[in-house]
Amino acid sequence: MILVVLEHDGQRLRKGALEVVARARQLGSLGPIAGVVIGENTQVVAQEAARYLPLVYAAEVGPYTAEKWAEAAYAAVQRSGARVVAATGGRQSRTWTARLAYKMKAGLLEDTLETSTDGQHILGTRYSYLNRVTERQKAPLPVVFTAKPNTTPPAEPQEGGRVEPLEVSLPAGVEVLERLSEQKKGVSLTEATVVVTGGRGLGSPEAFAGVEELAGVLGAAVGATRAVVDAGWRPYSEQVGQTGKTVQPNLYLALAVSGAVQHQAGMNKSKYIAAVNKDPEAPIFKIADYGIVGDVHQVLPALIEALKKLRD
Amino acid sequence: MKFLAVVRQVPDGESRLKIEGGKVDLSGVTMILDQMDEWAVEEVIRLQEKHGGESVVVALGPERFEDALRTALAMGIDRAIHLVAEGYLDPITQAEALAEVIRAEAPTLVFTGGQQADWDAQALGPALAEALGWPVVSWTTQIELEGEGHAKAKHDLDEGAEVVRVALPAVFTSQQGLNEPRYPTLPGIMKAKRKELKKIPVSLQSRVEILEQSIQERARLNRMIDGKDPVAAAHELVRLLHEEAKVI
Ligand SMILES: Cc1cc2nc3c(=O)[nH]c(=O)nc-3n(C[C@H](O)[C@H](O)[C@H](O)COP(=O)(O)OP(=O)(O)OC[C@H]3O[C@@H](n4cnc5c(N)ncnc54)[C@H](O)[C@@H]3O)c2cc1C
Ligand SMILES: Nc1ncnc2c1ncn2[C@@H]1O[C@H](COP(=O)(O)O)[C@@H](O)[C@H]1O
Repeated sequence: MILVVLEHDGQRLRKGALEVVARARQLGSLGPIAGVVIGENTQVVAQEAARYLPLVYAAEVGPYTAEKWAEAAYAAVQRSGARVVAATGGRQSRTWTARLAYKMKAGLLEDTLETSTDGQHILGTRYSYLNRVTERQKAPLPVVFTAKPNTTPPAEPQEGGRVEPLEVSLPAGVEVLERLSEQKKGVSLTEATVVVTGGRGLGSPEAFAGVEELAGVLGAAVGATRAVVDAGWRPYSEQVGQTGKTVQPNLYLALAVSGAVQHQAGMNKSKYIAAVNKDPEAPIFKIADYGIVGDVHQVLPALIEALKKLRD
Repeated sequence: MKFLAVVRQVPDGESRLKIEGGKVDLSGVTMILDQMDEWAVEEVIRLQEKHGGESVVVALGPERFEDALRTALAMGIDRAIHLVAEGYLDPITQAEALAEVIRAEAPTLVFTGGQQADWDAQALGPALAEALGWPVVSWTTQIELEGEGHAKAKHDLDEGAEVVRVALPAVFTSQQGLNEPRYPTLPGIMKAKRKELKKIPVSLQSRVEILEQSIQERARLNRMIDGKDPVAAAHELVRLLHEEAKVI
């Protein structure tokens, strides 16, 4: 039995959840697949999930804490007898899956790009060393793995399944005092096919109006460097890099970004990288396919114009 | 009170990595205290400065990790414990071994890095919390003690952040913004040489095996355009992205 933990927003499944279902189906030889929906409004979300899976547990445990998620997933493991658990990769899931793996005394494969099985083990591929090394790992069952988002085509619905409520005895732990959500607008950073990132060289938060306009013309998501986030010019949710998000778009356009290794860790696997920087020695040019050596304040407006012309 | 940091030694991000026999070969690579662990060490020192008590640093890894432990001692940590083990160990196995030592130390709280810069693992902190039966707060950007028993902390989620209250003992993992780590001073380095560093050899079996590592760097085109004429440069870039790369 394989258990998939299905990520959702309280209303609907997230795309990542369907990617994880697809991953589980690839391990078909390990037996049937059950799902679990954890959190709030789980009955409704589980109904949607039952279009993809024969059995879905609904664990109504309230708002997120790592302890609750691990406990709920563990309850589903015990109920289903699953020896493999799959979940979407992300900051939160990589916290609670570690707790779960410890409870199960399982091998943990974090942030896998692809996964397969020989019947006794799960084999996974992932990046390490700040995204610079690709490695193949192998762990005997039981195994918990997370799947890096955007690495697997999402699953298609199959014949309908049933929903079962799952009782979970809630652990003590973290008490949430306040949730600080960030305004999200435009294209999601991790799912975008084009990302336009602005760095400290833009000089001011106002200069990001140009970055947003360019992103708008391209249908791109806006990214930021740590320097920019630290300065309070952009929200943290836009940060790309070791301590931000990892992106792998078709085009990554870096404007006035120096290209520090910690930044590269979040974007070095992009299909094409283009950069604008006034310093010909900027490290970003070493990993760029196309580079303009010039002043971003002159090049950015010209780029917007040139793109608008192309669009017409 | 007792504040404890768990650290790793990792390659300096700027150094070149090479592959030998299908594995990363770290010989000749400059090794440093993981920068995310540095935030953890700094926070532990600050907590001790504010609340008194003792600070301890713990690492699980090969002999060379001693340098990272000495760096933490030079920054100001009181004493170190080194579980000496060779080779790759998955975070669950690491957590098991570390939990034994940490349970015996009975600290007020444990701090470790949010993500390891070598194995890109985020699991050690939460796995350690599970092994100890404690709560975990990951990607922490702010922490404040509320008396002996609780801490208030701010930490990052997938989107946004939250403020939580957590009963101690608990495990915290670091995130940028937590603090600005101090540099070890010369007297600090001298003093660190005489501080207690206890070595405990351990023999552990990893649950996860690394079959093969490779470096698959994309060959980049490195096509440079002079931006002295910004309009012409912009047109050329747009043309290349549209016609050659076909990504817009
Ligand atoms: C543990 C750790 C984790 C980190 N994690 C991250 C992370 O996740 N993400 C991240 O981004 N950073 C991260 N950093 C920080 C990173 O090391 C760099 O400091 C940061 O990426 C620099 O941001 P920047 O490129 O915007 O700024 P700078 O390095 O200051 O670069 C600005 C660039 O703009 C250029 N420029 C200036 N003016 C102009 C102009 N008029 N026209 C054109 N170009 C111009 C300059 O030539 C320069 O190259 C981390 C650091 C540590 C220690
Ligand atoms: N991400 C990783 N996962 C597993 N093993 C690794 C990883 N990175 C390096 N190793 C191997 O671990 C060995 C280094 O071990 P150590 O000297 O104990 O750090 C090297 O042979 C590496 O190839």
